[in-house]
Amino acid sequence: MPLWIQILPGSDEPIYVQVTEQISKAIAKGQLASGDKLPAVRKLASELVINPNTVARAYTILEQGGLVTTKTGSGTFVSDPKLRKSDAADINMLTERMDTLITRGLNLGMREQDLTRLFEGRLAKFYKKSNKRKEEK
Amino acid sequence: MSEIVLETEGLTKYYGSSLAVDHLDLKIPRGCICGFVGRNGAGKTTAIKLMLGLLRPTAGSSRLLGCDSSELTPAIRQRIGYVTEGHRLFRWMSIAGLEKFQRAFFPEQWDDKFFADMIEYFELPKKKKIKHLSNGQRAQVSLAVALAPNPELLIMDDPTLGLDAAIRRQFLEGMIGLIMREGRTVLFSSHILGDVERVSDRIVVIDKGVLRANCSLEQFQEAVKKAILTFADSAPDEVNIDGLLHCKRMEKHLALTLVGIDDEKIIEWAKSAGAENYDIVKMNLEDQFIEFTAPANQKRLFKWEER
Repeated sequence: MPLWIQILPGSDEPIYVQVTEQISKAIAKGQLASGDKLPAVRKLASELVINPNTVARAYTILEQGGLVTTKTGSGTFVSDPKLRKSDAADINMLTERMDTLITRGLNLGMREQDLTRLFEGRLAKFYKKSNKRKEEK
Repeated sequence: MSEIVLETEGLTKYYGSSLAVDHLDLKIPRGCICGFVGRNGAGKTTAIKLMLGLLRPTAGSSRLLGCDSSELTPAIRQRIGYVTEGHRLFRWMSIAGLEKFQRAFFPEQWDDKFFADMIEYFELPKKKKIKHLSNGQRAQVSLAVALAPNPELLIMDDPTLGLDAAIRRQFLEGMIGLIMREGRTVLFSSHILGDVERVSDRIVVIDKGVLRANCSLEQFQEAVKKAILTFADSAPDEVNIDGLLHCKRMEKHLALTLVGIDDEKIIEWAKSAGAENYDIVKMNLEDQFIEFTAPANQKRLFKWEER
C-alpha cells in the first residue's frame, strides 16, 4: 500500500478519523481495490508514527462500515463492493452532507448548473481512477 | 481497566507555603502512552519527581509497578526508565563511558545491540564527551540510554523541549517502538500538543497542581466542544447549562465552551433558551487544552473525569 496517509496533528479531526477517511477515500477511488490487504496495525502505526490503538480504532470503524473485513490470523482486507450495503441511515447522512454543500454553494452565488457541473466533474475523477484500475487487472 | 502500573493517592506537595501538587489521584493502566499536559508551573515536574521517589510528598502516596515510590527497590528501579527535563547526563563521560556506567544498573535487560544501533542511526561519535555534544545530540544519547534497558515503565519529563522537528520525531518513534513490545507503558509530559495527539492514547491534564482530566485521548477530544447560539434579539442573561466552562457574549450570539455534555443536551438547552440557531463546533486539541485550562469565568470549578 502506498503511504498516502497524511497525519495532521492540530486538526479538528482526531487522528483516527483522519486515517479512517483517507483509507475510505482510497477505496472509493480504487487506489485500494477489493481484496487488497491493508498493512498490519503495528506496521502502519510505526510508519505513520502514531499510536497503534489509533490505527486499530480506524480499522474497527472501517470494518463496522463494511469497507474492510478482518480475517483472524491473516489480516485486514478491502471487502467486495457488491457485499457492501448502504442502509437508510447512510442515505440520510449523505443527503445531509449534500444539503450542507449545496447551501454553501448557493451562498457563494453559484447557480444550479454550476453546482451540477462541479458535482459531475468530481464524480468523473473517482470513476476515471477506479476504471483505470479495473482495466489494469 | 487493565492492571494499574502507576498510581497516586492524595499526592500532595507544598514548597514552603506554596502548593505545587494538590491531592493528585491518578491511575495509569498498563500498555498505554499517556501524554501528561499542563501549563507552565502546573506541577508536572514535581508530580513526576514525587512518583519516582525523588521528592518526599507532604501528604499522600504513590506507587510504581505496585511498589511505594518512597521505597523503590533496585529490582523495581531496573524496570523503570526516567528521562529528566533538559536531559541531564554526566558531562565528563564519553558516550561509551556513559553506556558502561548505565549498563551496570540494568545488568539483565541492557540491550547492547539496540544501544549501538541507535548511536549509529543518530551518527553520534562514541568517544566524544557528553559536554562536547550539542543539545540535540545530548537528547539523542538520553533517548538511547532510556530505551536500551527496555523499560517496562518509561517516564519522560518534557523530553522534546527545545529540540528540532527531526529529533522530536525520533523521540516519538522511540515511544511507539517501545509500546509495541508487550506490556510497556509510557508517561511523558509535553507542551507540544501535536506530539501528544500523535502518539498518546491517554491524556492526563493537571492545572495548578490539581488533576483535571485522566481519560483516553479520544474521550477528551470528544468531551470539550464549543456551541455557537444565535438569538432573535439578545442572548439570555443566565446560562445554566451543565458542563459549562466558558461563556462569551457577542450581542445576539452566545459562544459556550462545554465539557462532558452530549450534543443532544446542548441542542435541548439551546431550544429551551429560545435560540434561533445553533452550531456545535469541533475544536482541535490545542484549543481544547487552552480553553480547558483557562481560568473559568464561571464561579464553579469544573473537573471532568472518565465516566
